[in-house]
Amino acid sequence: MPNSSSVLTVDDIVRVRRKKQAVQFSFYLVLIGLVLWSIQATIINDTDWDRIGSLSDIGNSISHFIGIDFDLIPDLLGPTIETFMIACIGTLLGLIICIPAMWFGALNVTPYKPVTYPIARVAMTLSRSIHEIVWALIFVSAVGLGAFAGILAIAARSLGFIAKMSAEAIENIDDKPVEAIRAMGGSQLQVMLYAILPQVMPVILGIVIFEWEINIRRSSILGLVGAGGLGLVFFRQMNTFNFPGVTTVILAILGLILIGEIASHFARKAMI
Amino acid sequence: MTTPEQSQDFSAQGDNVHREWHRFKYPGSLIKYGIFLGVLLFFSYSVHYLNIPLERMLGMFGRLGDVLSNRYYPPDLEYIADIDYLGAIIETIQMAYLGALFGIIISVFLGWFSAYNVSPSRAFIYPVARLFAMSCRSVHEMIWAILFVTILGFGMLPGVLALTMFSIGFAGKLFAEEIESVDMGQVEAIRAMGGSHLQVFVFGVFPQVRVAFTGIAIYTWDVAFRAATVVGFVGAGGMGWYLKRNVQQIETERTAAILITIIALVVISEFISAWARTRVSKAK
Amino acid sequence: MAILEVDNLRSKYTFSGPEILKGISFQVEEDDFFAIIGPSGAGKSTLIRCINRLIEPSSGSIKLHGTDMLSLKAGELRRMRRHIGMIFQEFNLINRMSVMDNVLSGRLGYVGSLRSIFRVFTNKDIQCALELLERVGLKDHIDKRADQLSGGQRQRVGIARALMQEPNLLLLDEPTSALDPKISREVMGLIRTMATELKVPVLCNIHDVQLAKEFCNKIIGLQDGMKMFDGPTETLDQSNLDEIYAMEVL
Repeated sequence: MPNSSSVLTVDDIVRVRRKKQAVQFSFYLVLIGLVLWSIQATIINDTDWDRIGSLSDIGNSISHFIGIDFDLIPDLLGPTIETFMIACIGTLLGLIICIPAMWFGALNVTPYKPVTYPIARVAMTLSRSIHEIVWALIFVSAVGLGAFAGILAIAARSLGFIAKMSAEAIENIDDKPVEAIRAMGGSQLQVMLYAILPQVMPVILGIVIFEWEINIRRSSILGLVGAGGLGLVFFRQMNTFNFPGVTTVILAILGLILIGEIASHFARKAMI
Repeated sequence: MTTPEQSQDFSAQGDNVHREWHRFKYPGSLIKYGIFLGVLLFFSYSVHYLNIPLERMLGMFGRLGDVLSNRYYPPDLEYIADIDYLGAIIETIQMAYLGALFGIIISVFLGWFSAYNVSPSRAFIYPVARLFAMSCRSVHEMIWAILFVTILGFGMLPGVLALTMFSIGFAGKLFAEEIESVDMGQVEAIRAMGGSHLQVFVFGVFPQVRVAFTGIAIYTWDVAFRAATVVGFVGAGGMGWYLKRNVQQIETERTAAILITIIALVVISEFISAWARTRVSKAK
Repeated sequence: MAILEVDNLRSKYTFSGPEILKGISFQVEEDDFFAIIGPSGAGKSTLIRCINRLIEPSSGSIKLHGTDMLSLKAGELRRMRRHIGMIFQEFNLINRMSVMDNVLSGRLGYVGSLRSIFRVFTNKDIQCALELLERVGLKDHIDKRADQLSGGQRQRVGIARALMQEPNLLLLDEPTSALDPKISREVMGLIRTMATELKVPVLCNIHDVQLAKEFCNKIIGLQDGMKMFDGPTETLDQSNLDEIYAMEVL
């Protein structure tokens, strides 16, 4: 027979709910407060409102960008091709250096778990944490200006994503074919070639194509720090205040990315 | 009786009929290898066109190691203990989450407009929204930063705006994809009882995608933070400005110290976001 | 002499865990189609996998053609495994590869590293594969991807692959559990026909007692890791079955 002290009354339930709601409410209040404080501290205080001027001044500034510099277009062809090539070779190089990284980074195939697995994960994290601009800076100081530094920067930046996703794909394989090849006396190499690789290859290819598209976007600005491609043209147009030229370069970049998307769409269809 | 060293020889029981089979089939294999060869040619041409010194590549690792150990080490940790720099770090964090916040809020609606199944107007709003999201995504965050700095001057406002555009590009597409994969049954129910487009979204779509959206939002914040660390490079506030200054002045040890703080912050933010995302998916 | 001699085989999953197999002994002759029956969890699958050491037994002895399997080191074990063909419950094929490549892969134990990478097999291997594919009725499916085939067809590929090894022993791990009854009989019939013709003894772990009685000449009944019955099929009667499957009734 339950006694009254262990029975939940309606009042108890209401009290608990109210308390939960109060906690949630104050949590959101604090959050909004933080946001407002940030806006105040960063945007409102820090901005030089005089220099910006009125809304019409802003509109005026924006209007400078409207228009295309047709004279610039022939000069864009070379850098555009260069940007595209940097993206392609950079992604390919990234894939090549990923091969040991994904091998070490997959729990089921890593050769010596306490050592090789952490090395791989650290490399992946490092690669993804450092922005491509920073990678470009590092490589420019090591190998000089030009497309080579850009390619290395793209490769270094892509390693993280490709290796991480591919290692996950390797960890998710179906181990039944592995068992079959082992049972018939296959060596470790044969297990990898016949049981693991065929399963993992299409997934990795999809990952590489995905990253390649993103790399086109990244390659377009590496020229800002001297690593080749359209970035340099962009920089020059900005410096000479040729705003329609800037717009033209941006359109070229958009065009390149569009080509990349179309190409990757067809590549994916061919793979299935 | 056969011993293990020699297996059975089945061919003794074979029927000695000759059968044909070839691994290379025409035209399938020809096309496949043709494309492969074409891609290979493109890559070799590119290497040639860009003057990439392949023979220098291996030596490059030595040179890189050399550069890193001599010029970037030891990192100038005193420099980053400066109060101004720490202020810049706080700025970077604030820019990142403000940009991500605004971007995510806008993306919720942008995602709704660019989802084919529930967009209020498929003829007009849908293509415009799609185009807008694609443009935001295609333009690199550095370009956004430069553009906004040109129009608005230096400071954090252009930084926040650039990160907002970047976040719209990132989250907009992911949100749209989520919305396009909802169970249409619930949507149809709200439509059937005469709900407006907004009501269909709020009551039919949003409850289904709420959890996935939270995960995407956290991911967006993580990615925005990475971008925030470098927008200062072009004058948009945050740590990036210190990076630029020291790179220009070839203060490599200070640059190394700044890089270390960038990496440390990004790694911390990644842990936080990974933790938050697992919490969210568990709370499902 | 028996092809396969198993003596007092014991197996555990972990060092301090319970014993899965508690001292199994039996012999397989050249013309045997040996069935292992028993309720789920009796250790049938473990027993089959101990023979080629996919699972390591904890003690006992397994002799194939007089060679002690358990004393073999890694390289020797691989060479020994070439002579043991295995057919799996879920076919264990390489799904994205063609039927032909799957069957050819049966020769991997005999193929060197370089040839494995480029999938270069000898003309004799190719002829053998084509002949086997014809025998199992898959002549028109040679270049299809393995995952485009039905369950019964896939198991036929598995049969052809196992026979490509020119094995001294065939191990079957519930080869028909994933197939419907009609296809199951066809597959079992095909295996028996080819095994008899090529003089390969078969050790088969099977769930369906009816199939076991129809196709196998000797039966072992396992229950909870122990052998409850060992003898020719004809001598298996209902009381034996009740004993073996006692746990299921409960």
